[in-house]
Amino acid sequence: MINRYNPNETIWERWSLNAALFPEKEAIVHWDAEAEPYRWTFGSLLQNADRVALALMRKGISKGDVCAIIVRHNAGFYPLYLAIASIGAIPAVLAYPNGRLHPEKFRQGLEGMARHSGLDWIMTERELEHIIAPLTLSQNSMIRGIIFPLELHEDVPVSNDEYKEILNIRNNMKSTDPFLLQHSSGTTGLQKPVLLTHKEILLQIANYSEAVKLTDKDKIATWLPLYHDMGLIAAFHMPLASGITAIQMDPFQWVMVPEILLDAISKEKATLSWLPNFAFNLMSDKIRTEDLEGISLESVRMLINCSEPVRYDSFMKFLASFGHLGITKEKLAASYGMAEITFSATQTEPGVEPRHLEVDRQLLSKGTVKLANSSTQVVRVCVSSGKPIGKTKIKILGQEGSELPEGMVGEIVIKSETVFEGYRNYPEKTAEVLKDGWYYSGDYGFLWEGYLYAIGRKKDIIIVAGNNIYPEDVEDQVMQAGGVIPGRVIAFGEEDPAIGSEQISVIAESHFTEPEMLKKLRLDIIKTGMQIDVTIKNVYIVPPRWLIKSSAGKPARKANMERILKSKEEVLWG
Amino acid sequence: MISDRLKKTILNVLHLEDFEIQDDTRADEVPGWDSLNHINVILAVENEYKVRFKNIEVLKLKNIGDLQKLVDSKTN
Repeated sequence: MINRYNPNETIWERWSLNAALFPEKEAIVHWDAEAEPYRWTFGSLLQNADRVALALMRKGISKGDVCAIIVRHNAGFYPLYLAIASIGAIPAVLAYPNGRLHPEKFRQGLEGMARHSGLDWIMTERELEHIIAPLTLSQNSMIRGIIFPLELHEDVPVSNDEYKEILNIRNNMKSTDPFLLQHSSGTTGLQKPVLLTHKEILLQIANYSEAVKLTDKDKIATWLPLYHDMGLIAAFHMPLASGITAIQMDPFQWVMVPEILLDAISKEKATLSWLPNFAFNLMSDKIRTEDLEGISLESVRMLINCSEPVRYDSFMKFLASFGHLGITKEKLAASYGMAEITFSATQTEPGVEPRHLEVDRQLLSKGTVKLANSSTQVVRVCVSSGKPIGKTKIKILGQEGSELPEGMVGEIVIKSETVFEGYRNYPEKTAEVLKDGWYYSGDYGFLWEGYLYAIGRKKDIIIVAGNNIYPEDVEDQVMQAGGVIPGRVIAFGEEDPAIGSEQISVIAESHFTEPEMLKKLRLDIIKTGMQIDVTIKNVYIVPPRWLIKSSAGKPARKANMERILKSKEEVLWG
Repeated sequence: MISDRLKKTILNVLHLEDFEIQDDTRADEVPGWDSLNHINVILAVENEYKVRFKNIEVLKLKNIGDLQKLVDSKTN
């Protein structure tokens, strides 16, 4: 296995070296519940990437072009991604639109991203042509063309000139060149592009490999989407750069039949997997005993909980369901990270149960950590996400921006060798979060004996099953339901312990009073959410002037959330 | 043709009082029936009809008409 870090190395060089050293070793096994797994070796994957690279060059794609990939998770994705990178173009993996997402909303979101991220090419499937094609026809369009990569069949022999051109590009790549464009996750329009270099990605992989003690015996099993940093960096780039196998599957298949992950772990003897917190609940609740026949999870070293606040109950539930198959407390792990740091800032130690603290919830909400004792009225169990990896530094800042001591709650700020340089074409957003090399995460947490505990968010972002949802997006949509008073809506996340995640709630003012009208309005509000592919779980319809306004004259999200949750019985109309 | 029993089972699990469901209605057209809730709907239908679906059968469902046909094939 290769995990030495060389600051001058490019990712393409690393892939080529792996293909030369382990041509027959499996690089990516694409697991499919409906078919036999498709197995790419390091050798076959690179050979295929060469073929696709040539086809892309013939289509006019050149070094520095940003190529958005909007394809379903399938075996053809991997050589395409490698091919784009191999000619110095910049891949940007975007989510394939769900059928719920309104085509016009999808187009608007893509148009906004194209403007900010500078998307040059869209690589997609024929099924989306009618939605995306109009974008390329508009006069101001920055998008130069649509390509259907899964239909590319290049059997024409490579000419000497073409071969020289490809070699020339690859030989001139530098480790400081931009490699990929990751988007901070979110709903339409508000995704922010993070440009990462070869160096940042390889350094993150080196630091993270060290933190999880990666060896050549490891195998990663994952259903994570590749447009998310946890899926792309931890479960795709890390194995590919380290010369170990990744077993990949489509997130939509996993969510419908979650036992396929356990089946893949068992059959392929996988050792590592990353899961957002809700996945621990979902698998515990939905997988039936009879579906576990013949499954062993003995091979697992670490199941790493990341991307959502880690909940102790979710871990315990998972242990109760799968402990008999070989999962122990020591195999459950946690990490804390984000696209802006390339992926991870902290990691718990392999083979050691993540630390957890039982603290006084009332004092915690006031910003102080006090361990619970027999007189504590309400206890909250906080699970640690581990210690900073590599040379990462973490500080906790108070409201005035001063550093707080251990045991005090404040904003988590991070300094890392792999921190991003800024959002592409968003200087104002960059200035908000990046100050003197420190990244202001917008998350609340505390340090205790050098370990980080992330407990909530300063920003209003709602995290549903690992996805970031911006309340502004939901509010804009809900406003379109006839009967909602313009500007008088707030959206927020409501904790749902049953699923181990948050659910979206909406409070909307309306003049309606008739029960039938209120019933219809409630359904209309839920339907508006569907158009941007978000599920609104709770709708609270309130009379005019019910919402509390902030000093700026807008409904205050937090104050209204607290009001409705304290008194929902009395004010719930719909 | 979607039976009232199947429709009622689906609407109950999604906490919907009413919603029109046709043979060609897709899951993503029904409020609340997202990928996370899909498994709840399938479990509710299995419980209602006392049947078991195989993974592959669930993955091949394209619309609610297909779900009705699958239920019919298991119960007849």
